[in-house]
Amino acid sequence: MNSLAYAELFSLTNFTFLTGASHPHELAEQAAKLGYHALAITDACSVAGIPRAWAALKDSPVKLITGSWFELDDAPPGASAPAFVLLARTRTGYGQLCRLITTGRRRAQKGHYTLHTADLDEHALDDCLCLWLPPTPEAADQDSARACGHWLQQRFTDRFWIGATRTLEPGEAHQLARVRTLAEQLHCPVVALGEVHMHRRERQPLQDVLTAIRHNISLERAGHRLFQNGERYLRPLPVLERLFPSAWLQETVAIARQCTFEPGTLRYEYPPDLVPDGESPAACLQRLTWAGAQQRYPESIPLKVQTLIHKELALIAELQYEHYFLTVYDIVAFARGQGILCQGRGSAANSAVCYCLGITEVNPAQAELLFERFISKDRNEPPDIDVDFEHERREEVIQYIYRRYSRERAALAATVIRYRPRSAVRDVGKALGLDAALVDQLLEHIDWRDQASNWRQQILAKGLTNDPRVADQFFFLVNQLLGFPRHLSQHVGGFVISAGPLAELVPVENAAMADRTVIQWDKDDLESLGLMKVDVLALGMLSAIRKALALIPAPTGQPVRIQDVPRDDPATYAMLQRGDSIGVFQVESRAQISMLPRLKPATFYDLVVQVAIVRPGPIQGDMVHPYLRRRAGLEPVDYPNEAIRQVLGRTLGVPIFQEQVIKLAMVAAGFSAGEADQLRRAMAAWKSHGNLTPFRDKLMKGMLARGQDPEFAERLYQQICGFGGYGFPESHSASFAVLVYVSAWLKCHHPAAFYCALLNSQPMGFYTPSQLVQDARRHQVTVLPPDVNRSHWDHTLEKPDGALRLGLRLIRGLSARGGRALVHQRPPQGYRTVGDLRRRAGLNQRDLELLAGANAMPGFTANRHQAYWQLLDHELSSGLFAGSDGALSAHDAGEAYNAGDAPLPEPSEGQNLMADYRSQGLSLQRHPLALLREQGQLPWCRTAAQLKDLEPGRPVQVAGLVTGRQRPGSASGVTFVTLEDETGNVNVIVWLATARQQRKPLLTARLLQVKGVLEREGEVIHVIAGKLTDLSNLINNLPVSSRDFH
Amino acid sequence: MLWLYLHFPHLILDHLRRHHERRQALVVVEGSGQNILQVCPEARTLGVRPGMRLKTATSLAPDLTLVRADPAREARVLEDQALWLYRHVAHIVLCPPAGILMEIGSMLRLYDGLAGVWSTLQRALEERQLTATLATGYTPLAARLLARAHKGECTATREQLTNTLARLSLSAAGFDARTCTRLQRLGLNTLGQVAALPPAELAHRLSPQILAHVQKIQGTRADPQTPWQPPRRFRQQTEFVQDIEQASRLLFPLRRMLTELEAYLCWRQQDTDCLLLKLHHRHREPSRLRIRTSGPEHRAETFLGLIRLRLEQQPLPAPVTQMKLSVKRFLGRATPGGPDLLGDGQDLSEAWHTLVSRLQARLGNRALIRLSPKADHRPEHAWSATEVQRAHRADPALKHHHYPDRPLWLLPEPRPLTETPQAWLAGPERISSGWWEGQRVQRDYYVAQLPDGQLAWVFRGVNSHWFVHGWFG
Repeated sequence: MNSLAYAELFSLTNFTFLTGASHPHELAEQAAKLGYHALAITDACSVAGIPRAWAALKDSPVKLITGSWFELDDAPPGASAPAFVLLARTRTGYGQLCRLITTGRRRAQKGHYTLHTADLDEHALDDCLCLWLPPTPEAADQDSARACGHWLQQRFTDRFWIGATRTLEPGEAHQLARVRTLAEQLHCPVVALGEVHMHRRERQPLQDVLTAIRHNISLERAGHRLFQNGERYLRPLPVLERLFPSAWLQETVAIARQCTFEPGTLRYEYPPDLVPDGESPAACLQRLTWAGAQQRYPESIPLKVQTLIHKELALIAELQYEHYFLTVYDIVAFARGQGILCQGRGSAANSAVCYCLGITEVNPAQAELLFERFISKDRNEPPDIDVDFEHERREEVIQYIYRRYSRERAALAATVIRYRPRSAVRDVGKALGLDAALVDQLLEHIDWRDQASNWRQQILAKGLTNDPRVADQFFFLVNQLLGFPRHLSQHVGGFVISAGPLAELVPVENAAMADRTVIQWDKDDLESLGLMKVDVLALGMLSAIRKALALIPAPTGQPVRIQDVPRDDPATYAMLQRGDSIGVFQVESRAQISMLPRLKPATFYDLVVQVAIVRPGPIQGDMVHPYLRRRAGLEPVDYPNEAIRQVLGRTLGVPIFQEQVIKLAMVAAGFSAGEADQLRRAMAAWKSHGNLTPFRDKLMKGMLARGQDPEFAERLYQQICGFGGYGFPESHSASFAVLVYVSAWLKCHHPAAFYCALLNSQPMGFYTPSQLVQDARRHQVTVLPPDVNRSHWDHTLEKPDGALRLGLRLIRGLSARGGRALVHQRPPQGYRTVGDLRRRAGLNQRDLELLAGANAMPGFTANRHQAYWQLLDHELSSGLFAGSDGALSAHDAGEAYNAGDAPLPEPSEGQNLMADYRSQGLSLQRHPLALLREQGQLPWCRTAAQLKDLEPGRPVQVAGLVTGRQRPGSASGVTFVTLEDETGNVNVIVWLATARQQRKPLLTARLLQVKGVLEREGEVIHVIAGKLTDLSNLINNLPVSSRDFH
Repeated sequence: MLWLYLHFPHLILDHLRRHHERRQALVVVEGSGQNILQVCPEARTLGVRPGMRLKTATSLAPDLTLVRADPAREARVLEDQALWLYRHVAHIVLCPPAGILMEIGSMLRLYDGLAGVWSTLQRALEERQLTATLATGYTPLAARLLARAHKGECTATREQLTNTLARLSLSAAGFDARTCTRLQRLGLNTLGQVAALPPAELAHRLSPQILAHVQKIQGTRADPQTPWQPPRRFRQQTEFVQDIEQASRLLFPLRRMLTELEAYLCWRQQDTDCLLLKLHHRHREPSRLRIRTSGPEHRAETFLGLIRLRLEQQPLPAPVTQMKLSVKRFLGRATPGGPDLLGDGQDLSEAWHTLVSRLQARLGNRALIRLSPKADHRPEHAWSATEVQRAHRADPALKHHHYPDRPLWLLPEPRPLTETPQAWLAGPERISSGWWEGQRVQRDYYVAQLPDGQLAWVFRGVNSHWFVHGWFG
């Protein structure tokens, strides 16, 4: 019907943060619908929106052009400051564009860019096209406009156009006249541009809101900061035909034809550094793998493993992934050389090849795992290996990567921070002029863990506004804004390493952290473009394990390694079956502690299940109880058919892992490989913008058609939803299970070393040092207080009896420098007086006071009060006696004498306890509850230990320090409270009705007394709360903190 | 010297609550909105405490009303209290944010002893529905600490006061958190224990500041106080927790403010003939009412009658969030109220102001307005006519050099275009804006010449009807 062809060459997506009002894919789809010839995505100094637009246009006739919009910070002499769009003509042009963006971004602080006129001379841009937007008559006079155009034209010669827009705003006629004049003066063509900010005009309200948010002002006050109308959208061709001369429209297509760069052609070029000259990557990997296999299996390589290795190497060779494995191997080898413990996980990590390369400790010979899925031939995507490193030493690994490949070639991937409900509600509320205090108050009340849509009702119920129009607008806008990118942040550890300069592959910009740079694409973008990343992650437990292993006296004199830990140790499993797992990796949470005695793990694979089962997926799918029943033999294990047995055989017919669910969709619901892959991606993306409902119908229909139980199908779907955002695949679980086993073994056989290492790796894990120390003492570990004459900076095991001596690091506020100096300067016979300590260690007053407060000078002070009084005598710090070399000076003697005179009260047991808590967050004296019990403050209250011998179903009374309050998303309305007394922890369950009636004690008590009913299931004991009483006044000044609602 | 200290634990809340008949749980939250600072008794019974996290507080009391802390407002409200106290006590010291110190030793005879002063103040506080704790002390600091710790008693016995002071905990004794920690490390938990240490050791081992603090409490060190001077103008304000929509509901709080004014004028032996009442609205310029009396006046009833009349004539343009009453012009009661108090030597702005107020007096306040541009894309909202004020600030949202082509004569309402234009001179200019106010404008504007030669600003709306919106000269 009409022969007009048009290419939109100037469009901003929402990756021009708080400016563009449409997602890249929305623009792409709309351009296709309108029959555009091409669409250029030209975000402000960014190509962050390109991968998503590319994914949307992959199978469409609309051509995607990569470009970017720039406004320079300065102006050529006598000219106005240039503002223009650059388009990449070819792959070379794209590299030039990325270089320029990188320069602009690296120079400015995070989220901004700064480019000068000089940059255009210093960067090669000979393969980019320049579309200039002349300044309006209000902004600059004709001469400076012309000078600006002339300056740009000199640089781009025949790759220079003047852009004309028609936004129907006042003054447009003048501007068009100017464009025509300039075109004549400069002898250059004019091209029509849309200056697109949204895909459809209906987005104008959202665009206005974004503008208001960007200026931090309400819409009402935004005035002329807003656009006058909504014309910056992708306009239908007939409209464009009316607005622009046809020559200007034709020019768009002519330009588009020149641009042949296609993002899909960006191919990852693997860094060649890792392969010795003359050897092929495949040969290199083979050599290393077999050499590793020899070490892993010194006697002989089991046949099963040999077959696996052959199979895997063939697959790797076919997909040409050798470089990837070699890259990971190189990083892991570096860590190993430095004594940094690490462990790989992810689909490819638990392969036999990775075991041989030392990337994982999951032994393919030992575990009954199915590895064939480790990389998929069907999925055109790179393999995925995440490597965890000791959390305190990951930085060394990162620095190594920067050294090995240089900052030119290595950078972190970005994480796109998007609008979540909370931030969207807050920002839209602000823009609409709602009272900020009111909005905050509403937000405080909303339970975000509720179903995704529910918060809307909650907000309405709270009476945000009684104006229905405002309410409608509010929700409409919040819904649109959800999922909009807000800024780029750094990925937790995903490194992109390239063969050539990275900045020619993707622009690099500054992260918030000093010395960190990120690329403009996130994990999903990299995946969709088929680029490779290596995840370098931090894990506290690895630090703890390494430290614990180092403390174990080895019979051979060799340090004990993870691989030396004996497998299948019955004592270790017996301990776990009792739920005795505080401090053990992954299974130390309250939910896991009560699951352990039910699941009774007895083999390595049981641990793999244990790690995965207490998670939203299996819980929401109601798969936990069927699994436990089958395990206990209370329910028969059966499979509808052989295909399903293949998938579910190792978990007794109950799907537990994400892989199983996806596989099940294939064998039980008839999903094709491609559909299953879509499902997997949708699950991964569910948290940010996913939608799983389309899969529900397909799943239900498919399963019913194959004769499955509809109830089971529904549960499977619920499980899929539960996995959304928290996907927990078997491959991760298996890697974690190794660390579960090793940490449990340490706890079981070397408790002193285990707790010592855990305490030295703080902060990490679930429990506070106080809880860990109490648990250590319950396991017959002798714990000794910090002492300036015995302690080191770290916690240590004392010879010969292996008692755990608390280190000076436990003293809050003590400087590491002071603490270390104290240890370093300590004379063999120890410090003898306060003055001695001050002089030799050169401690400052603050550190000394903290040591006195910690009662860490028992050798030469009567108590902490006197110690403190003594060191307050400042004159001692004068350097007069510095040379006396430890001889007890007259002054020291006088000091001791003076101390006796101080009219200070002797600390009571209670005071010491308080002071200990204040100084170290724990006390080795009696537990506060023991004191209160002795004083008769807690009549009728049972201790945690006594509960073990009581009949279930009977009323009990308990009291304890509140150490945790949790309201799990999966349990409706129930609150779990953990109380600590001198014998252990009591688990209290508060039902919703009880909680509502007694909010005050529940939420604020630090010492809580609970009257309730004892419940017991096997070894799992709970108290179901009835009456709650706040006894916090009994421990007024005791600083105890609770882990609330994390 | 005997001092008396008034500590207001939740002054802002009292201030807000006394203008409302219905009682509700109110709290003041700090600027960032994270922590609770002040708690009214209703909120306290629900378990809300100062220092609590907002999240905890709203869990305890879901219907809690929040007020943001505003130091400027707090200072103003505190000064309001000094104003009425000044009628009872001559020597007043402001102790922001929440206290007032008074020297009462010299007043004892006037009030027939301490009990007289005490009960007078308590009555006055009750009348004003203010919560305050009172305490006496022989030093300013002692009185202050006792009042803040709720340990005040109606006593002037030195021994009793000294004993109460000695029992104060360290934080109640006004030591900062760090000092408290240091003292506690010595096993010291009360002010008495600290004071018992030898002064020289205290200064030497702890710090001279700690000793100075103890001595200021004991009175062995000077602690000079700056007396408060009453301001030269009267100012009162009322904030509403919920917006007031009916003018009649303003009268209840107004009566209270005018009674304060009457008391103030009586005490200063002054009259006035001009009040300024400023009504604040949420989304628009405040309304200013200038109330003039026919002659010098001080009676609340008269003022109230005049204001009521004005409010009846002139409906509220929008709900009222805040109301401020101020009086700058005072007439001595002895002086006959002349029509013109302005002398020579007035500067130009003063002369302008005189002109404006005279014109207003002759023509009425509403007859005199000022036109100014407003940053809004909708032509009918792109200007404003406001009451003439002296200070004039440009709309910051207005883009400079951005005055689009607009007709000088903009019709109050667009009217249908009935003739076919002869020529189209400019356009279209598209305006689509204002959706957030529910008055979305979507129009294409043109400049057109009508058959009779007039230049019209016409537009086509969403339903394709044509309208004339203005005339060009």
